[in-house]
Amino acid sequence: MDRRSFIKLTAITGTSATLASCGNPENQFIRFLPDEDIVPGVAVWKPGVCPLCAAGCGLTVRVMDADADVMRDGQWGIVRIAAAKKLEGAAGHPISQGGLCARGQAAIQVTYHPDRITQPLKRSGDRGSGQYEAISWDAAIAEIVQRLNALETAGTQRALALLSRGRTGHRAVLTDQFLSRFGARGAVTYQLFGDDVLRRANGLSFGREQLPTPDLANTRYLLSFGADFLGTWNSPVAQAGSFGHMRQGRPGIRGAFTQVESRMSQTGANADTWVPVNPGTEGVLALGLAHVIMAASLHPASAAGRAGAALDGWAGGLANSAPAEVERITGVAAARVERLAREFAETRPAVAVVAGPPLAHSNGLFTALAVNALNALVGSVEQPGGLFFTPQVNVAASSKAGGTAAASGASIEELAKGALGGDVPQVLLVDGANPVFTTPKAWRVRAALGKIPYIVSFSSFLDETSILSDLILPDHSFLEGWSEGAPESGSLSAVLSVAPAAMRPLYQTRATGDVLLEIGRQLQRPLNLPWQTFDEMLGATFAALPSATADVDAWTDAQAKGVWTGTVPGALVTGAAAAAPAAAVAYAEPVFDGDAGQFPLHFLPYPSSAFLDGSLAHLPWLQEMPDPLTSAMWSSWVEINPVTAEKLGVADGDVVEVASGQGALRSAAVLSPGIAPNVVAMPVGQGHQSFTRYASGRGENPVELIAPVTDSATGALAWAATRVKLSRVGPPDGRLILFAGGTREHLEEHR
Amino acid sequence: MARWGMAADLDRCNGCGACVVACHSENNISTVGDEQASRGRAKHWIRVERYWEGDFPDVRLKFRPVMCQQCDNAPCEPVCPTYASHHTEDGLNAQVYNRCIGTRYCANACPYNARFFDFFNPSWDKPLQLQLNPDVSLREVGVMEKCTFCVQRIRGAQLQARTEDRALRDGEIQPACVQGCAAKALVFGDLEDPESHVSRLARSPRGSKLLEDVGTQPAVTYLARATQV
Repeated sequence: MDRRSFIKLTAITGTSATLASCGNPENQFIRFLPDEDIVPGVAVWKPGVCPLCAAGCGLTVRVMDADADVMRDGQWGIVRIAAAKKLEGAAGHPISQGGLCARGQAAIQVTYHPDRITQPLKRSGDRGSGQYEAISWDAAIAEIVQRLNALETAGTQRALALLSRGRTGHRAVLTDQFLSRFGARGAVTYQLFGDDVLRRANGLSFGREQLPTPDLANTRYLLSFGADFLGTWNSPVAQAGSFGHMRQGRPGIRGAFTQVESRMSQTGANADTWVPVNPGTEGVLALGLAHVIMAASLHPASAAGRAGAALDGWAGGLANSAPAEVERITGVAAARVERLAREFAETRPAVAVVAGPPLAHSNGLFTALAVNALNALVGSVEQPGGLFFTPQVNVAASSKAGGTAAASGASIEELAKGALGGDVPQVLLVDGANPVFTTPKAWRVRAALGKIPYIVSFSSFLDETSILSDLILPDHSFLEGWSEGAPESGSLSAVLSVAPAAMRPLYQTRATGDVLLEIGRQLQRPLNLPWQTFDEMLGATFAALPSATADVDAWTDAQAKGVWTGTVPGALVTGAAAAAPAAAVAYAEPVFDGDAGQFPLHFLPYPSSAFLDGSLAHLPWLQEMPDPLTSAMWSSWVEINPVTAEKLGVADGDVVEVASGQGALRSAAVLSPGIAPNVVAMPVGQGHQSFTRYASGRGENPVELIAPVTDSATGALAWAATRVKLSRVGPPDGRLILFAGGTREHLEEHR
Repeated sequence: MARWGMAADLDRCNGCGACVVACHSENNISTVGDEQASRGRAKHWIRVERYWEGDFPDVRLKFRPVMCQQCDNAPCEPVCPTYASHHTEDGLNAQVYNRCIGTRYCANACPYNARFFDFFNPSWDKPLQLQLNPDVSLREVGVMEKCTFCVQRIRGAQLQARTEDRALRDGEIQPACVQGCAAKALVFGDLEDPESHVSRLARSPRGSKLLEDVGTQPAVTYLARATQV
């Protein structure tokens, strides 16, 4: 046998052995077929939209070839696919401007998460057991259609409900249209750290019921009441960029920054002046500044116009808000009130923002109105360096939705109360929300969901809410289908982010928008939604907008860039909210749950830098990212002032019990000088019972301590209005994991 | 020959940690999990340090992103018995992974705690391995690893410029941390070019080097956070 025939023979036997050893020989060959239009080793960059919060940052997705175990044409096999490799902020995008936050960087792990739901699932065990069996898409959709037809036949269309995070944009309009055309009640939206109080206040003060865009890049004095605008609030990437410019982007000009809060946030750490204040009295401080400004005739009361009129006693110069009185209520020295007022009024331009804990009290609306009036008083609204409102595209109009908009839905609290009281929705669709994890125990949302006979989730993961569902119809990840964002804030001109899929779906998932449209077509009384597919709906909107580039239509241009920005045609602008204040609002003392004697400490749960409200706790990069203020990873903790800790006999790292009238939990103490002695704080995000291998059974969920106190005007949860007591349980037990700069000495100490 | 350097403006840096995750994503740094993290084995080529000053209520907190300082006079290099840790012509403290025998002398010598040891072979729960960057090699057990200034991006840009027969432009090379920083606190470039952005920042009166007095001659300049009068 010569060398040539020997090699031939080996090749043939080798191949046949391989073929004989597996059931589907073609699987072995699949990988050699060109699956996607990609050149091995060559990276291409595609646009994307970050899905993790409502900011709507534009992405650039690096796509390269990779070998993946995927199903193609009904067969599993290792296939060379075009796979997303890295996410970066899109340079030309008006919100992200090339940057991206830590969470956005980690968003790629949503797509590649090992515990993603890969196909439609039907519950096979008890509710909450997490036992599911595979079901085909056709069978799953037929099942929902049958359920909805039954409602229609019985004339009980109102027994269909939908629960979402209240996203803006096309997805929200599509679900609204689906609900209203079916005859269901409006969507129930819920977010633990939602901004409904601020939106309402902006509607009353300025006629704009939306989040503001502070023009930080051009301001010279920034006064923030509790807003974590560099970390977790609103549009942090845009705000971090403009804040950097405010500090060092203008030769010879460095904007000053004062932060008012009771626990130093990541944002507060960057302030020149940090002003601690008694929880729930931030609005009194704002009015104190206004009082000084008016009393010194720096600006007349009338300058605040409608925003001032919304507050009791404004026209009379706020006689009750003299600095001495403000000091008594807020704990901020009268001299400091005077000084802050003068700085704010005399530095031009200046802007005040308010968000977060100050608005999470029973008097939240008052606080927001007070800060709004302060801005209006010094002329900082819609002026360079002041507060702006990003023009909004009316997506219902631009996408030619027609029909009638759905009535606004009940709150989650009302939904739960109804379900427990006999007004039980028969079918509930859950899109993105996890209220079982993020609502106070007293609302009994889990029990309420247990009463609902049929729950459908579009989730990609089994979390505390989706694990209660009877049917799971997993959505594509944001990289696998059309993604969009309609930023409410973050830019001075209107923005719509949009991007086609950056890669083909890894699994048997389907875009939720398309699934809803399909269900609408199959019903016995078809809903006649005006689009066949979700991208057709997107296309309708962009066709109605003026193109930013000559010779290219707006839709093509937006898909290539990942964004549309420009002037909104008059007919498509979201109208200003006309709601005028019913009656002037006065300061009311904040209501706290828990007797001050029994529960001496204020409890502040705050959105964690890594996980926000806990919806990102399943991403391992974020679990292992050291927290900016404590360097903690993979853990929960309680922040305590060292003086308080000493009184209670608590040392750094000790296990402590925190108890409110609602419940108790145990966690590790972190002694922090940046927190008032009468406040303890905990990051929200850990403590999941069910949320993938990385988050389940890890740490504690502070939401379980929150009492069901609400803002009296809007009904929004006052999540900072609970009192607690704290006691030492024992020495450090290893539950708190710190990075602490990686110093070996530190570790030796703790061995 | 270029001399790569970085400037970190602490008046822009707000401590958000985006650089930390961007670095993990770019450089295939494996997460180690809670057990190993509690034993000090987490790897963060760049970290955000925090310095508390004062007591409540007059308390201040300052952030400082710290990565390998790519010292001109690097203590990690002469202690390496295998020359795994060595100096490149363009001034990087490079690490040759397949020369490294894991003595960890370099980590001992580094005053910045910028070097991390691989106690295990890296692993990713499938299909997380799809996120891996094919331009960066994986480090196996027993090897030291650290910030490279994203050398793969430097070499990539140099190749690109050479094929286009032109010089590198200032700002063309962006390590992942620099690229991701929304506040534009980090600036990378050539310190040999006096007109480059990083050179101008390095001459700032607010500038200083970390632990300058130990004589390491770092390539990273920190621009102090300004204080308001």
